[in-house]
Amino acid sequence: MGTFSYNPEAIANLKITDTSILDRLVDFESARAAHLAKDHSRRDKRMSLSEAISAFVADGDIATDAGFAYVRTAHQAYFEIMRQGKKGLHFIGSPNTNQSYMINFGVCAYSHNSYTGAEMRGTDRNYSRQLKNGKVKILSEWSHGSMAQGFKAAQLGVPGVFSKQLLGSDILRYNPYVRVMQNPMRDDPDPVVFIPALYPDVTVIHVHAADKTGNARIYGPTVNDIALAAAARKVIITAEEIVPEIDIRYNSKGVAIPFMYVDAVVEMPYGAVPGNMPGHYYWSRQWWEKAFRYACVSDDNMKAFMDEWVFGCKDQFEFVDKLGGAKWITMARRLTKAAEYDNESDGVDFSYQPYLPDKDPGIYY
Amino acid sequence: MTTNKPANPLEMVAYVLSRQISDHQVVYVGTGLPMVSAILAHKTHAPNITMVYESGGQNPIEGDMPWSVGDPFTWRKSPMIQEMAYSFAQSYNGYVDIAFLGFAQIDCYGNINTHMIGDDFHKPKARLTGSGGNNDLSSLTENMVLVGIQSPDKFPKKLDFITSVGHLTGGDSRKKAGMLGKGPVAVVTNAGVYDFEPVSKRMRVKSLHAGVNFDLAQLTTGFELLKPEGEIPVTDAPSDEALHILRTEVDPHGVFTSIPGM
Repeated sequence: MGTFSYNPEAIANLKITDTSILDRLVDFESARAAHLAKDHSRRDKRMSLSEAISAFVADGDIATDAGFAYVRTAHQAYFEIMRQGKKGLHFIGSPNTNQSYMINFGVCAYSHNSYTGAEMRGTDRNYSRQLKNGKVKILSEWSHGSMAQGFKAAQLGVPGVFSKQLLGSDILRYNPYVRVMQNPMRDDPDPVVFIPALYPDVTVIHVHAADKTGNARIYGPTVNDIALAAAARKVIITAEEIVPEIDIRYNSKGVAIPFMYVDAVVEMPYGAVPGNMPGHYYWSRQWWEKAFRYACVSDDNMKAFMDEWVFGCKDQFEFVDKLGGAKWITMARRLTKAAEYDNESDGVDFSYQPYLPDKDPGIYY
Repeated sequence: MTTNKPANPLEMVAYVLSRQISDHQVVYVGTGLPMVSAILAHKTHAPNITMVYESGGQNPIEGDMPWSVGDPFTWRKSPMIQEMAYSFAQSYNGYVDIAFLGFAQIDCYGNINTHMIGDDFHKPKARLTGSGGNNDLSSLTENMVLVGIQSPDKFPKKLDFITSVGHLTGGDSRKKAGMLGKGPVAVVTNAGVYDFEPVSKRMRVKSLHAGVNFDLAQLTTGFELLKPEGEIPVTDAPSDEALHILRTEVDPHGVFTSIPGM
């Protein structure tokens, strides 16, 4: 049985028979030991994506969904994890949208759930079906904010934080890690929730620029990624471009991740495709709509979809070619720049034809 | 889309929700109709509000309708972007005046379910998204406004899962459980606007949209609605000007507010 003290009601509700499966996420000692055991020298950590995934993602690891679902998320690295046939990963993240399609292929088997879905583009019927069929097991339920506090506690270097979130909700009855306590600073009743520091095994974070040692720069929302990089036992950086160390030193304002966290640096232009990369490219909105309106409908559809886009693509360049190649890149760059700052006078048009099941869009706007 | 057509039910919801915002407020915005309403308020009666999004963007200079709460339009030319943990902390620390959230189910105390439909967690009839930021904002924000479509399934006696606490079991139970803020102050649906009776904290009709009477509202609700004293007011409908702005500037592609055939 597990090392830590878990909420027995949540263990019963979640039907967890051996609680040792919960341990690593909150096992600070082993995370610290892993961080100490890394080579801390400022060395060249560049390698190929397949080398990085092969070396640093192991079957059964607790992996993260980083960025914000489809914003600056290392989708192309996730696809390589799928192509390498990794098995039985636990997924954690706020949001945790990308775990869904990995369940179908045995890549994701366990979920620390906060949010899985595509907002107004529809509920994720695939996730619902996989859960009902027992293909994924939820190990804990969270809100975005409480999970973010767990990652932040790890970055702060503290055993946990006291939160005012989750109180009174059923999430408490489906989360073995968190505990309602009395605020020790008060004599009158004041319930608070202890959120332990969370330590995933491996995180893959897509950034705008990194030097060869792993100092990494992010533009736009960092969401939870700086905390994730500080917490995770193993950190893979995929970067739109590799820059000289002097570039990082002279543009240090945006440096978000220090090199010592990092195990692997992968040069990965278009590493966030088909998601949005601030400053570089907008979403392929039709790809995501196809994922939710076609692929999520049945297991057969999901297999056909992923055979085409993941298992049938060698790398991100083949993926971009399928989206529409240079024309797609040009449009995606124009849209993201317009969305961020410069369409006031020239009126870039964001309208597009949403994905229709019977019509291949050709270029996936 | 022309302005002489009356508001469809989604446009009505968006408009009524926008009226919950006062100028100069800090507004925490969830995805979908909350986003539409905040932007509509900003373009009409509340041009000086500050919008906050959980992905970190805040106070964007407006552009097109965001595709997601992580869209660049949520941080367009923002003075700063917050990390997620710090973004929710603004609600805890008292800097957020009002937040809007959607739901799959709501009960008579304004508790919310966005987790699942069915009574078996392991084999639900339908698994939904989970909390996202819903629980965080419901736990921390001073004034919550909840928005959704009204039907007996969506307004059940008992939730299938309590994702977020509103007034818990009524009375002062929310405060006793340790949550901050007033909890839900209003519920906006396609049928009407509801508030919560001050002592019992049970959902009460505040106004009903044109064409809806109390019996109809009750028919679409799985629990007993409270009736206000006196005559039930009719909710103000949007002016032609507000509808025009909604249709041409806020949601010109009808992503959130169009209904096929209307």
